[in-house]
Parts: sequence; C-alpha cells; structure tokens
Amino acid sequence: MELVFGMKDVYPWEAKIRRTIETNLRNLFERWGYLEVEPPTLEYYTTLEKTLNEEMRERVYKFVDRDGKLVCLRPEFTTSVARMYSQDNNLSLPLRVYYSGRVFRYPSSPFRTESEFTQIGLENIGQGGVTNDAEVIALALLALERAGIRNFEVDIGHAGIFRGLLEALPLGTPQKEMARQLIKKRDFVTLEHLCLSAALPSSFSLLFRLPFLRGKKDLLKDLGPLFPQNQEWQRAVEELGQVFDILNDFGLTERLSINIGLVRDFDYYTGIVFEGFSPWVGYPLLAGGRYDELFCVFGRDLPACGFALFLERVLEARQKEEALEEEKETFPVLSFPPQLRKRAFQLAQTLRQEGIALILEEHKENSIHLVTPRGSFTLESLAEDEVRRLLKEGQR
Amino acid sequence: MKKLTITLPTGRLREEVVELLSSLLSFPLVLPSRQLVVDDPDLPWRIILSHPKDVATYVEYGAADLGLVGKDILLERENEVYELLDLGIGKCTMVLAGPEGTTRGDLLKQERIRIATKYPHFTRRYLQEKGVNADVVALYGSIELAPAIGIADAIVDLVSTGKTLRENRLYVLEEIAPISTRLVANRVSIKTKTQAIETFVKNLKEVISNEDRS
Repeated sequence: MELVFGMKDVYPWEAKIRRTIETNLRNLFERWGYLEVEPPTLEYYTTLEKTLNEEMRERVYKFVDRDGKLVCLRPEFTTSVARMYSQDNNLSLPLRVYYSGRVFRYPSSPFRTESEFTQIGLENIGQGGVTNDAEVIALALLALERAGIRNFEVDIGHAGIFRGLLEALPLGTPQKEMARQLIKKRDFVTLEHLCLSAALPSSFSLLFRLPFLRGKKDLLKDLGPLFPQNQEWQRAVEELGQVFDILNDFGLTERLSINIGLVRDFDYYTGIVFEGFSPWVGYPLLAGGRYDELFCVFGRDLPACGFALFLERVLEARQKEEALEEEKETFPVLSFPPQLRKRAFQLAQTLRQEGIALILEEHKENSIHLVTPRGSFTLESLAEDEVRRLLKEGQR
Repeated sequence: MKKLTITLPTGRLREEVVELLSSLLSFPLVLPSRQLVVDDPDLPWRIILSHPKDVATYVEYGAADLGLVGKDILLERENEVYELLDLGIGKCTMVLAGPEGTTRGDLLKQERIRIATKYPHFTRRYLQEKGVNADVVALYGSIELAPAIGIADAIVDLVSTGKTLRENRLYVLEEIAPISTRLVANRVSIKTKTQAIETFVKNLKEVISNEDRS
C-alpha cells in the first residue's frame, strides 16, 4: 500500500513523545497568558499570496474548490492568524495566542521528500517594543527546554541589519536586489565578487564577515558607529542591545547570542528575528521574529511578534541526544504455556491494578519467561511476589 | 571544543584539495586510500571523504561542518548551506553548447528543442528563466555525444579546456556560469562553532592568496 509522496505515519512510541512535548508547551504558553487558536487547514491562495515569497508560493499545495477558487493547504500559521484577527474589529488588545498543528509544503528541492510538518508556535499581537520581543524570545528559550532539548542555543538578529546595509550600499537597484538574493541564499562568495567589482568603501567589508559576527552584548559596541546616518541600522543595533538587556534581567542569556548575520527565509519580518538550534541537527528547531507590517496587507495596522517550533526537528535533536533511547518504553513481557493462561491473566490484572504495566504472551513451550528492561528471567512458577519483585527492579 | 568535521571530494579534485589542506597544515596531509572517515589525533579536523556530488548534502544535513564542493553541484542541488570562500581550484565554465552551424539565437527560437545535461534541475531553471520551450534529457555521462547520436539538439555541461567539445564538433553558444571549488558551511555549525570556522576561513584565504602570488 502506497503512502502519498512526502507523507509519513507516526507510530505509537513517537506519537506519545509528540503528545508529551505538545502538552508541555501548551502548559508553558498558557501560564504566560497565551490562548489557543485553531485556524482552518485550508486558506484561499489569494490570502496567502500576500505574505509569502516566491519560493514559498511555489511550495504551497494548491487545488481548485467547487466554486473554481484556488485553495491551499496552510504552509504555516502566522498568515492565517493575522487573517483571523484582521477580520475582527472588536478585539481587546493586546492579544496572546498559540497554535499547534500540521502545515504542508512541497519539498524545497527535487532532492528532498518531507512535505508535512508539525508547528507549535505563538503570536503576540498588538504590541510593539522590545519588552514584547523579549517575552517572545524568553518563551522560545523555555519552549526548547520544555521540549526536552538538553543542549540548545538561540541566536537573535534583526531584519534592520540587512535592510540598513542594502539601503546604505552605493549600488544601483538591480545590483541591490542581486545582493539581497545572495544574502538570502547565503552565497558570500558571489556577494564578494559583486562588491569587489563595485569598489565599495571599506566599511562594507563587514558584509563578508556577517556570518561570523556572533557574540554577547559587547559585540554591538563597534557596530553602531559604522553607519551613523542609517536609521534602519541604528534601530537594529539599539533594539538588539535592549532585548539582550531585558533577557539578561530574566536570567536567560546563558544560551542566547546576538548574531548579526542571521538570515530568515520569510520576507515579512521587520524587527528582531531569532532561531533556536541544537548542535546535533543541521537546521533550526525553531524560528521567529517581529512582523509589524504583516497585518497591513489585511487592512489592519497591528504590530506583532511570534515564533514556530518545528516538532519533527525537535524530535530529531532529542533522538541525537539519546534522550529518546531512554524514554522509549520497553514494557515487560511475560510468556507462559497455555495451561497457565488463567493464572497468568489473574496475576497480570492484579499487577496492572497496582500500576505496573505488563504484556502477556502465550507460547507453546512449557517454560515461563519474564523479560524486563533489566534482563530476561526464567521462572519456576507464577508466584505473585516473585514476579512483582522482578518487575519493580526492572522499573528502577 | 570538538574538532571541525570537513567533507572532501574524492575523484578528480581530491589531489588538489589535499594539496591545499597540506599548505594550511604546513605538513603533508596523507589520507589512507581506502578509509572514508579519518579521525586522526594528529590532525586538527575530522575528515570525511565523499562522492563530489554528496559533499554539500553531508554539510546541509549537518554530518559535516564544512565541505569543499564544486559550484556546479551547488547550482544543481541548491543546498541550504553558507558559501564562504572561492578556493580557486577546479576552475571551469558551465556552458550551453551546440553543433557546428547553430547559433544561440536560432537554437532557443526553435519551437521545440531538447537539451542533454548532467544538471537537469539547473538546466530546467536556466531554460525557464530564458522562457525557452525546451525538454531536458538527464544523462549521467558522455553528454557531448548527445547531439551526434540524436538524443538532443544541444547540451549544458562543464567545459575546462574545450578539447572534448572540439573533438565532438560542438561549440560554446553561451557561458552560463563560472565554476570553481567552494568552501561551504552548515548553517548551524557556523553558529555553534563560529570561531573555529572563522579561523579556518581566514587561514585558508591566506594560503590561497599566497599561492596566487607565487
């Protein structure tokens, strides 16, 4: 039986871990005053078209509904949440919402297959300012912790860094657009060729150092004076410093870095952006930022900030950390011959009522076996105390 | 701090790459011929040898922090990696080439043409950008034979000296992209091992510019 291309089944042991992580994050978000929303699975293409870049538009699953309108499976939640709250004019702001569910995207290249992903995330709507940025980043840090990742880091950057740099570049519009594409593709070799041919002032050598400009607060010291007249740049450097200070007061900067070269794929970010990752996984586990202009495309002027965690990547990180190995439940198995069926069932029920898990397996041999995480035992008889003792030892 | 893991291409480029890294180490790098993962305590890096086409994929998925890979592969696979340095080796050009007597204009104006290549994904994008009505035939080898045996009207392939093209009576109709070996980095490694990677890039840059001068 064929599985639809790009889709995957989730088996019980993984489903259980997924559910646990989701529950932990729900509890976390609700304690910070966030309420759950459930946007629909389908959206009109015209809704999504307004916020997605060209690459994402191509990756959306599209089909025609019976009215002949182009409909899509949601490729992410943020646009849907923005649409939801753009239609309601009686909102009491600020609004703190979270969501959890599947999103669908065709693979990013013909050499990949994954097409369905789980996103758990939140949006803080109606409030601008660094205190709200900091709240969202704090939740991102705590979310990774609550998701069971032991070794994670979060990098914060700012959309204004690239906007400012591109604005300041003494290049023509087509070359600037080329530079923007190259930064997005992280192709610093071609970018350097482009800039060398344009004989740029020395302050722009910073462009090629971008991927390495990562550190704590003192990283910002030398950056401000580089482009003193550039408002985007100045705002970016200032806000990064302020957000870092607030998170420092929260006691959350141990796993936090400022990363000047952080690039996000979505074009709608306007301020702070951030990514969370594990050193064991090659792509981010979580990403987000401030998108103050997104609501404008739906006719509302609301600042907003949020992030989404990619559950499958979190699972990969946990697996790499060998946490999964420990958590994968191996239930004890008691195997017995048919003539002991009645006794075995009675015994198992007694133990199950005590909260001990046990799987029964009838076999054709005359012997009795008990397999626990501690080892395999051959029993003389089905003595209740003996079985209980072995099972309890196995639990430890 | 854990060592950096670097993926190196086997095959044609291996020798040049090893030479470059030897200059960086200031002693000859000797890689056992049959071993694909080299974790030698005397080396500052862990080295993985892979098929040239797999280097960027290893890096993209985080199996290696850094990789040395041809730009042709990066254009074809569009791997999400940081491209940090042009190593100036493995230089050649990605071209559109066709048989004697054709011009680029005539060829692309035809109602339906077929183009043979080892880079189907890249070629499809290139043709799409030019708005050309063409079919792409993906082949694994001897691309330059395709027009002569009637599989295709033209080819998209790498050219270094142009000798193979000439032998098959093919002519360059367009130089599409300059190709050389690049240093690429994983997008998470560049954050978790920033300093180690920055130092590696800086030192390698020096080696390359010294070799350019000599």
